[in-house]
Amino acid sequence: MKQNSNHLINQLIKLTETFIYEVEHLKGESLAHLNYKQDKSTWSVLETLEHLNLYGDFYIPEISKRIQDSTFPVKENFKAGVLGGYFVKILKPREKLNTMKTLKDKNPNGSKLDTYTLDRFLNQQQDMLKLLERSKKVDLTKTKTAISISKRIKLRLGDTLGVVVFHNERHMEQVKRALKQSKA
Amino acid sequence: MKNPFQELIEGIEQDELWDSKVEIARNGYLKLAGEIDTNIYFIVEGSVRVYVLEADEELTIRLGYKNNIIASIDSFVTERPSDLFIQAIRKTQVKVLKKASFLEWVNASKDRMVLWRQNLELLVVQQMERERDILTSSPVERYHRVLGRSPQLFQEIPDKYIASYLRMSPETLSRIKKS
Repeated sequence: MKQNSNHLINQLIKLTETFIYEVEHLKGESLAHLNYKQDKSTWSVLETLEHLNLYGDFYIPEISKRIQDSTFPVKENFKAGVLGGYFVKILKPREKLNTMKTLKDKNPNGSKLDTYTLDRFLNQQQDMLKLLERSKKVDLTKTKTAISISKRIKLRLGDTLGVVVFHNERHMEQVKRALKQSKA
Repeated sequence: MKNPFQELIEGIEQDELWDSKVEIARNGYLKLAGEIDTNIYFIVEGSVRVYVLEADEELTIRLGYKNNIIASIDSFVTERPSDLFIQAIRKTQVKVLKKASFLEWVNASKDRMVLWRQNLELLVVQQMERERDILTSSPVERYHRVLGRSPQLFQEIPDKYIASYLRMSPETLSRIKKS
């Protein structure tokens, strides 16, 4: 699918700004609510955000490096790859949220967490905003990045940015649900 | 005698030259590869590492902890993007000094210009020490050079980053430390 590069990036920037706004608001919640777990296997608000932080730890330096090394100047359109498009499609939140499996090393379940997780998340989203701005200057199709699950697979930068932001979006929905449950 | 580095910091403190104070969460970045960063940072609390990504490997260039100055020296000088990452190893607080404020302050007095030159000279010597570290072929000797020069480094920085700084695996570092 072809789409306008700037349009895509601006959409991702808007979403990221929303995450920042929402998580800033979580700072006013009590630690009890933020750590509340419906049952053993569901994540609390903080566990969900830590899950995103673990991904950010990988993707932020990776994307930054690839944008810097890219020799391909900006192109008006971005064409999603087969694999990237597939990842984005399954990650995007739907009306009724489908559950997905989490890889072991990205599972925060049971970690001891405090509001510091929020600071870490907010730091990362500020970095994401910078990266999204910088990505406006390179070709989103030809610039490639590694992905966290496999060393051999490379994704198009446009897809990687989509994967990261839509993955965040998906889990921000979960954050809202977890908070609601903590107050039920 | 005070060293020129301390003297410079004290001067900056006295004149309240710092532009701002920033807190970075663990694993957060002061600077990402590809950014222009001409700031000078003074570490109030915490620790940072300066590294580059080379074929998926993180090469550690500098480590900094409390009371150290850290900067992306390449960007500071050239005012161009550089491939350095500056990352907080743990929760870190830094004072930020902009290049423009700093240079204006330095250029306002001859004493400060001399002091700044002395600092640059020290930096050249330190760079040469570091160059020799890297050229030293024996890992044991590399370890002892750095330990002799900065024993505090080993108190402040987790071993996995020190190992990378010393260009050895964490396993090798742990073996050398035990022997």
